[in-house]
Amino acid sequence: MTTAEHTHVEGPTEVSEFEVLELAVRELAIQHGLFSAEDHRRFSEWAESRTPAKGAQLVAKAWLDPAFKEELLSNGTEASKAVGVDWLDPTGKGTPSDYTYFYVLENTPKVHNTIVCTLCSCYPRPVLGMSPDWYRTPNYRRRMVRRPREVLAEFGLHLPPDVEVRVHDSNQKSRFMVMPMRPEGTDGWTEEQLASIVTRDTMIGVALPNPEWTAENPPNAKTGGRR
Amino acid sequence: MSGTKTDNALIEIMGTEARRTDHSLPELDRTPDPWESSMQATCECLSWRGTLDNLERRQAEDRLGETVYADYPVETRSALVVAHLLIEQGILDEQELRSKMRQVRSRLEDV
Repeated sequence: MTTAEHTHVEGPTEVSEFEVLELAVRELAIQHGLFSAEDHRRFSEWAESRTPAKGAQLVAKAWLDPAFKEELLSNGTEASKAVGVDWLDPTGKGTPSDYTYFYVLENTPKVHNTIVCTLCSCYPRPVLGMSPDWYRTPNYRRRMVRRPREVLAEFGLHLPPDVEVRVHDSNQKSRFMVMPMRPEGTDGWTEEQLASIVTRDTMIGVALPNPEWTAENPPNAKTGGRR
Repeated sequence: MSGTKTDNALIEIMGTEARRTDHSLPELDRTPDPWESSMQATCECLSWRGTLDNLERRQAEDRLGETVYADYPVETRSALVVAHLLIEQGILDEQELRSKMRQVRSRLEDV
């Protein structure tokens, strides 16, 4: 796209009182030596560079190792360390938004789990990265808890009536992640191969992993997004 | 516990324009503003460097957000409560905050 083709998007021009308050508090805190501008930048960079790769690794590891799976389901916070995720990072005390318990929800042939945050947009950032835009929309947040099957169908996920759908509402103290069932056709796969098909949406619970689909392959005419 | 002086100070500083207009299912029809993630990083840095523990702030957000600042949108609680606690603890001064906010506002409105 050339510069001339860029459409200028006019943002909100009014300065919000809270934007002013946030900047004022931050600048005063820095002036008083409570933390540095570098601390602030470093933390923002850390938070914004998390990805779903760690979550996918956890799931793949659990699919291959029953003992690890048991540990992951019983103590998600502790088990996350196996893939290098310490929920107390990066401050040693965790982050306010990712405090403090992490639960992994196992899908079974009769139970399908999904996650939502009805109040705002709580999300397991250390293992899934930043939440997708739709996760924060009223449409998803409001309707997922009331009509989960309808919402899942809009994502293309049609579950049989005999599968119970459990919707887990995140909050400031608890984070959830779905552990999907390992699909058929993946026998003999390595952990890395398995992790490649555990996409973000499968860990939110709005999709199921497919051995022919990875998040890395863009859907296009040539591949159709398939491996 | 919150002191009445601090409660009134921040409410006066913020004025009436920032008040919420909804009183049921707050913030369902909005997308987060960029300042909110900056505020989150500020909260995290304050905890990291030992000024204000995350859990302590969370609890204060619940307590003050449902009482003193009940008339403000839920997503603004962290900004209000952090300012409140820093003033209450004597780390920031009310006049200093007012002055800094004036300075910041004029800077933002200048572009």
